[in-house]
Amino acid sequence: MIMLNYIASFFLITLGLYTIVTKHNLVKTVIGLSIADYGVNLLLISIGFNPGGTAPIFTWSELNPASFFVDPIPQALTLTSIVIGACVTAMSLALVIKLEEQYGTTDTREIRRLHG
Amino acid sequence: MSSVMNALSYQHFPIYAIMVLFLGAFLIVVFGGNRTARNILALLSITASLAFILALVKPVMWDGEIIAYWMGGRVPAGGYAIGIALEVDALSLFFALLVSVAVFVSGVYSIQYMRHDDNEREYYTLFLMLGGGVMGLVLSGDLFNMFIMVEILTFAAVALTAFRNTAKGALEAAFKYLVVGSIGSTCILVGTSMLYAQAHTLNLAQLAQVIPGNLNTATKVAFALLFVGFGTKAFIVPFHPLAADAHGAAPASISVMISGVLTKSGIYGIIRLTYFLFQTMNLGTMQFLLVFIGSLSMFVCVTMALAQHDFKRLLAFHSISQIGYVLTAVGLCTALGVSAGLYHAMNHTLFKGLLFLAAGAVLHETGTTDLGKLGGLSKKMPYTTVLFLIGAFSISGIPPFNGFASKWMIYQATYQKAVESGNIGFLLVTIIALVTSVLTLASFVKVSQSVFFGQLPRELENVKEVPFGMRFAMAIFALLCVLTGLFPNLVTTYITEPAARAVFSVAQYIGAMGFDASGVAAETAVSFAHVGVWEPISWLLILCIALLSVTIVAVASKYDRVSQCSGEAVDSKYELFYGGEAQEFSQVGGGDLFWGFKHNWRGYFDVMHRLHSGVVNDYALWAVVDLALVLLFSLIVL
Amino acid sequence: MTIVITALQYLGYVLIFPGFLFCFLAGMLLCGIDRKLVAKMQKRVGPPILQPFYDFFKLCGKETIIPASASKTTFLMAPLVGLAALVVIQLFIPVFSFSAFSGMADVIVILYLLLIPAMSIILGGAASGSPYAGVGLSREMVTIISCELPLVLVLLAVAKTVGSAMGTGLCFSLSDIAAYQAMNGSLITKLSMIPAAVAMLLIIPGETGNHPFDAAEAETEICEGLLAEYSGAPLGVFKLSHAIKMLTLTSLFVALFLGGLGTGIVALDGIILFLLCVVLTAVSISFVHAITARLKIEQIFKFYWTLVTGLALISLVLAWYGL
Repeated sequence: MIMLNYIASFFLITLGLYTIVTKHNLVKTVIGLSIADYGVNLLLISIGFNPGGTAPIFTWSELNPASFFVDPIPQALTLTSIVIGACVTAMSLALVIKLEEQYGTTDTREIRRLHG
Repeated sequence: MSSVMNALSYQHFPIYAIMVLFLGAFLIVVFGGNRTARNILALLSITASLAFILALVKPVMWDGEIIAYWMGGRVPAGGYAIGIALEVDALSLFFALLVSVAVFVSGVYSIQYMRHDDNEREYYTLFLMLGGGVMGLVLSGDLFNMFIMVEILTFAAVALTAFRNTAKGALEAAFKYLVVGSIGSTCILVGTSMLYAQAHTLNLAQLAQVIPGNLNTATKVAFALLFVGFGTKAFIVPFHPLAADAHGAAPASISVMISGVLTKSGIYGIIRLTYFLFQTMNLGTMQFLLVFIGSLSMFVCVTMALAQHDFKRLLAFHSISQIGYVLTAVGLCTALGVSAGLYHAMNHTLFKGLLFLAAGAVLHETGTTDLGKLGGLSKKMPYTTVLFLIGAFSISGIPPFNGFASKWMIYQATYQKAVESGNIGFLLVTIIALVTSVLTLASFVKVSQSVFFGQLPRELENVKEVPFGMRFAMAIFALLCVLTGLFPNLVTTYITEPAARAVFSVAQYIGAMGFDASGVAAETAVSFAHVGVWEPISWLLILCIALLSVTIVAVASKYDRVSQCSGEAVDSKYELFYGGEAQEFSQVGGGDLFWGFKHNWRGYFDVMHRLHSGVVNDYALWAVVDLALVLLFSLIVL
Repeated sequence: MTIVITALQYLGYVLIFPGFLFCFLAGMLLCGIDRKLVAKMQKRVGPPILQPFYDFFKLCGKETIIPASASKTTFLMAPLVGLAALVVIQLFIPVFSFSAFSGMADVIVILYLLLIPAMSIILGGAASGSPYAGVGLSREMVTIISCELPLVLVLLAVAKTVGSAMGTGLCFSLSDIAAYQAMNGSLITKLSMIPAAVAMLLIIPGETGNHPFDAAEAETEICEGLLAEYSGAPLGVFKLSHAIKMLTLTSLFVALFLGGLGTGIVALDGIILFLLCVVLTAVSISFVHAITARLKIEQIFKFYWTLVTGLALISLVLAWYGL
């Protein structure tokens, strides 16, 4: 069950990288970045998952050695990662708009004034 | 009262050093509408950060204390680190020192340099975020925290690269940097999470305790991911084109930050990863990986730099070339090598900062950095010229400037390694390093000829010297360049050797955080002995005596009895030698220099030119291929 | 009192032997002998041996003209810095067992110190603003790059040979190299050092910019390149530097390969050194000059990076395996 998550997450990351490498449209590049990001989020959340665990919300008195819950740290990491992913998307889309204004195209093959 | 005293204890200084920068960024957003308020806030926060770091030098670097700081006092429970930690050993502090000095000088420079730009408030906010991000990265004791800081600094760096979005290529560079930088950050995050899955901790010290004995496929993959991730931050080959784009397009004060500070954060990450987390540096194959990538970076980038015709882009390639030196030296895994590498890292921050500021000064006054359009500025900007030459001599390793001292140590370290290990490959590295150095010199001769010497184009007749604030910032760097070059023994004894010793003291690093370090090999006796001799002070003394005597003789014999031609009104006695033609403007352009060299290497340059295509997909592909290769490598050899 | 005497002694080293006076006289004589020899080989009469002295003093009496586009300070200071730096290098090279200051810098430092005179002439030329200087500068720099690789290999080979013989692994210090040769005879007698010595002989004319490797100043083509705008005393100083550079490189050769021939008496050693330098100049500069035509710059580069580098590499590999 959890294995499927790992496979899916690495598939998503690979798909994202594939998109970035092969697609020549700036927006698609941004989409590729987001897909890879989702893959990472899925990976993170899967790492913290314990089958049958409860939500990790306790007070000190409730916490005992027998309490069984999912690992809270990856969840915190995932939240951070989602926020960062949103920022990356926002920033890159802003850059795409500006690039389109300046270069008149969104084709990566034509946006190469800096080369060599 | 005691709580005040407690808050002033130096144990808290690392977090203060990070906080003041972020606080400054925040306050500038709120109160930065007024220029004076903004400048004061920015200067205050960078000065405070520098002061906090300087105050830590004695306890951490000289007394060898390791500061373990648990945020909110959440110390480990049940043998597991549950809180977020800062851990400052001499290595962290060394890099923090570089960061704070570079941030300080760059900030001072910015005040004059950026005053004609719009959105100065956003500039300072991002600038301080960038500084704070790097500071947080090097002082952090927690892998995930490092990732967060990497993201913050990447973000700030991308935004600042695109800051002058009307400049040629700024947006393009920012986008490329963002894409490949994000791939790198993603790699770091995946690596971090895989390590967490295996070790159930994010604390660096605890990871260093757990991982080395328990290598499995997942941790090996994590190693490769983290290595590539930090590699993108250091811009080592194959990520160097991004550095060229980003440095070239960003404002000069930001280029200083990117090359002097950001690349160092990548190097810092690689050192932490290889020496601490995985402790694999005693493997010959790991040394090979670092030395190979380092040598490749230094050679490829220096040749790329020779082919550039933009001042800042050229500097950017050199930047990575010098990072190659650092990585090579660090990869030798000898005490001398690490010390030399760190020394060079420090020098690189200083001289490359100086050079970028000089490029910025040229841009500020002339509005261009195209080598083909500049020339003869030494008459208009004498101070900048002198400062630039100091930087150029430093980076090319001309004695007695600092680049020479550290490169000289690197040559010895590589050659000594070759002799000790009997491996002729390291000999090749020494040779590459020496040849790279002279190629560096060549490309700075090109810059000085086509920017500062040669003939002054007519359009630049009205150029003036830059304002005092900018010269002052450059002079700080220049002074440091000279001092660290003249006193190599003091620098190594008090700064780089403690840091290098920290690299070999993994057990202390783990122990300081309260974890059991018994499984880790104790600190081996490190030796910084080297066979070379170089006494810059005596040399300088003799040179001064020699120069003085030459000058006295020259002046006595009326050496300076000269007549300067003015161009138009030639003394009638010289008319014999003129055909009456008007003086023409004839400058040998930067692109035409070194033809004899380039001609023999034209095949190589053609290939390189085609490889650096400027298409973001290609660069992403390089990143992916690099990741695949490192993955394969780590799965096989670890 | 002793401090004053020591200071005077060191001042004597700098100003008289092996410093300025020695450099001036020996370098100029070397230059004169070279010119005479070339002339004899080409069946000409040639100038008198003292001609470089006459030239120098004549130039010093001439007026100096600075072109309108030049930066005055750099233009005038460059020759002086170059000359001073060269003399300092000469001080660091031991005269057989006598070493004035040679404990202060090793061979790698010497390699880089040799760049300072080259830089001074390049910057001086660049500061003149002349397009000829631009071309000359480009060629001078390529010549430096060409020579650098084989020179590095030669130095590494020597360092390895002496180091493994002394049991330290490697040895960069010139005074140690001199001491080793004083005990065990000249390094040139070792099989592995012979290719390196030949390579070094070929490097000497390249480093000094002598024919046929003088594309950088090619009088007939680019009017002396870097020196195109120089006149009067500064030009004289550059000519003097050139002469001293011949002395420096030949005595570096002596220090690296022909050590151990000294007698222990400083004055006599100085004469022996000078005689050896004359022989080396005759072989590596005059003879090559007389029989070759000037090479194009890309040919110079190719020559050094293939043939000479190959020789030095053979030597390094032989030294590596202890032959």
